[in-house]
Amino acid sequence: MVAGPGLVAANAGNDAAGIATYASAGSQYAYGTLFFMVLVTIALVMVQEMAVRLGAHTGKGLGALIREQFSLRLTALAVGCLLLANTGLVVSEFAGIGAAFELLGVPKWAVVPPAAVLLWALVLFGSYRWAERIFLVMSLAFFSYPIAMVLGHPHWGEVGRNLAVPHLQPSSDFVLLAVALIGTTVSPYMQFYAAAGVVDRGAKPEDYKLIRADAVLGAVFACVISLTIIIATASAIGGTGPLQSAAEAARALEPVAGPGAELLFAFGLLGASALAGAVVPLSASYAIGEAAGVERSVSRRFRDAPLFLGVFTAQMALGAIVALTPVDVIRLLIGTQVLQGLISPIVLVYLLVLTNRRSLLGAAANGPRYRIAATAVVVGVALMSTVLLGQTVLGWFGLA
Amino acid sequence: MTTSTLFGSTTARLRDRRVNLDHRATTSRAVRSSLVSLAGLIGGPVTNQAGAEVGRLADVVARLYGPDPYPPVTGLILRIGRRRAFLPADAIGRLEAGHVRLRASRVDLRDFQRRPGEVLLARDVLDHQLVDVDGVQVTRAADLYLAPLVGRVVLVGVDVSLPTLLRRLGPRRWQVRPTPERVLDWQAVAPFGEQATEGPAEVRLRASRSALHRLRPADLADILEDLGRSERQQLLGWLEPEQAADALEEMEPAELENLLREARPEHAARLVDEMEPDEAADALRDLHPRERETLLDRMPREEAAELRGLLAHREGTAGGAMTTRLVTVRLEQTVAEVRAELAAQAEHRTEIDAVVVLDPAGRLVADLPLFDLAVAEDSTPVTDLVAWLAQFGPPVTLSPDTRLAKAADRLVAARKSSLLVVDEDDRPLGRILADDIIDALLPERGRLHFRRFLQ
Repeated sequence: MVAGPGLVAANAGNDAAGIATYASAGSQYAYGTLFFMVLVTIALVMVQEMAVRLGAHTGKGLGALIREQFSLRLTALAVGCLLLANTGLVVSEFAGIGAAFELLGVPKWAVVPPAAVLLWALVLFGSYRWAERIFLVMSLAFFSYPIAMVLGHPHWGEVGRNLAVPHLQPSSDFVLLAVALIGTTVSPYMQFYAAAGVVDRGAKPEDYKLIRADAVLGAVFACVISLTIIIATASAIGGTGPLQSAAEAARALEPVAGPGAELLFAFGLLGASALAGAVVPLSASYAIGEAAGVERSVSRRFRDAPLFLGVFTAQMALGAIVALTPVDVIRLLIGTQVLQGLISPIVLVYLLVLTNRRSLLGAAANGPRYRIAATAVVVGVALMSTVLLGQTVLGWFGLA
Repeated sequence: MTTSTLFGSTTARLRDRRVNLDHRATTSRAVRSSLVSLAGLIGGPVTNQAGAEVGRLADVVARLYGPDPYPPVTGLILRIGRRRAFLPADAIGRLEAGHVRLRASRVDLRDFQRRPGEVLLARDVLDHQLVDVDGVQVTRAADLYLAPLVGRVVLVGVDVSLPTLLRRLGPRRWQVRPTPERVLDWQAVAPFGEQATEGPAEVRLRASRSALHRLRPADLADILEDLGRSERQQLLGWLEPEQAADALEEMEPAELENLLREARPEHAARLVDEMEPDEAADALRDLHPRERETLLDRMPREEAAELRGLLAHREGTAGGAMTTRLVTVRLEQTVAEVRAELAAQAEHRTEIDAVVVLDPAGRLVADLPLFDLAVAEDSTPVTDLVAWLAQFGPPVTLSPDTRLAKAADRLVAARKSSLLVVDEDDRPLGRILADDIIDALLPERGRLHFRRFLQ
């Protein structure tokens, strides 16, 4: 891969759950969520930029920085949030693998457990690098969405208007979807991943300009792909209400693949899910290992790195088991993103506090104007999450 | 009868075991009661002799870099309202779990100024990276244990266990109680005080530092790979350049590249200079041309020229993987002289497995294996050895642009442990060793870090 850590990190967001959320946004609100995605893009750019800035200037991962800069309890909170969000994500990746095979007519209970064991073994016993390339190539199938968007003849005028003119809908379903869009685009693990990637490359403050360009371009690129998925689904099945199945999401690809749309979609979904199914639990294990200061390498034995390998294995097992339960896959996928959306403001606060600290970053700390903008982003994301949480709680009592 | 003996011995063993356990329990209880957890102290009350609270403990200052085997506590930092004040260690009366009692009823507070070798234990050491020299790994300090000694308080050990981390997450009642599960003796730890000014010269004599010097290069390389940026530069600074260079040769190429890029150019140049030429050339090859030139410019002219020569060869060829470390002799020398020559090159023992014999024009005559030198008489002239060796045919040589796969074939066919690389005029340029070929041909193994996903 020639791509930098910023690009990889941001695009890892376009996984099974991401595709489901974007496709659902297109099918339910047609072009209605486009303006919101523009806001999310700005947020993602700022967040990823802060994460790589921390990595480049301190040479430390986010997990290590949080442990060194905050109290142990706050560290546990951050790491706990990450673990919770990531386990949810792993569930959705396995659900994605199951859904991909169901499109091909194979029941998920026959596929998910072996897939989990296979991925686990691939990562632990070392031949994952090779498999990773295959998964990457498979997930390229989703790059047919931009073509599908053009061939689907969307109302370009509508698209332009919806992108540029501010509008939000005050319905509870819209807020739910909006939080899911934030959650899938600004995933907590992506910041850990981007910072770790920058550190692993030995980037120095002098390289920061290049690193920043990579992070910004990566974020923008990922969001453009997301936008094309929304537009493609909007023009194919827009306004038909919430997405019912993976087969429906595949219909947006019909202009490209014709009757093979489902096959193409299944192929891409499998690649993206398998890729993220291994990377996501690893990133959490890595962050936890880093924060706890224990051995962290998949080439160690269980006895040498019990925490690292234990967390990884537990996430995989839990993900596969929950994905097997008879749940509505699309709702599960979006539900995971809502969970991520609720948790990401917590992680963002850490990121914001760290990048504000002059004692840590010196002259590279957030300037006054950037500080206001970043705070606004965090508050905005937090506000959305809180509104959603309020609505859900009120909903339990039948008040919303 | 056998049954009863067996039974008897079993009960005896059980009794022994119980006695043993009791013994261990009492010692550990005794140890436990004398240790004071730093994590439990922080935030706890500091009271004067009259029992009135003076303030809350914000941090403990200790002289980390000094002559003492265990760092003595030199003072406390108190939080009084919004103010932070320093209290010298001689005011400490008793140190208990979660509570500091002062000696006097009136206390003398000052502003804190860091003296040489001092660190703030909670801010600089607790939760930060350190090297466990005995276990040879990088870890984080989950807790530090202080122990009252005659007249003063010293830092005795570091707790690195997971249960201790969990204890610190619990209520204050749990936090103050020491839980010595996996405690490393302070002597077996190399800590990094970020802000601490380097102490006097005897710092280098500290037990942990000298233990670091005994580590194997491969272990040291693992530790360097696991450390954060500033910590790893500190550790490199403590090592002798030769030792550091040996460790660098064992590092993963990507990690080594990072390390060289982070270090001050002067320091990096010194390290590269100390590395074996072929390893140094490999490391430089991975760097950006501009960074490479920066390092080469800071090296002694001769070494830099040699490395530039090596860098001219492409990676994956014999020239790119060879070492230029050659021991050359002339035909008229005796075996004793050759041995003396070898003894002078002892530090490069892993790079030398034969001696090159040259004619007066500098062209290759023979490649004398160390075995033949070892069994020869001191007085034997080299020319006799060469004549005897001639029956096995001329020395096997390679041109510098031979592909490594081909070089491997030649090595296997020749049944030797190294082959000479020569130019068109048969002048030796360097030697390619079997281990260089193994390194180049084996696929990358093990240590599949998270980072691999990002490459």
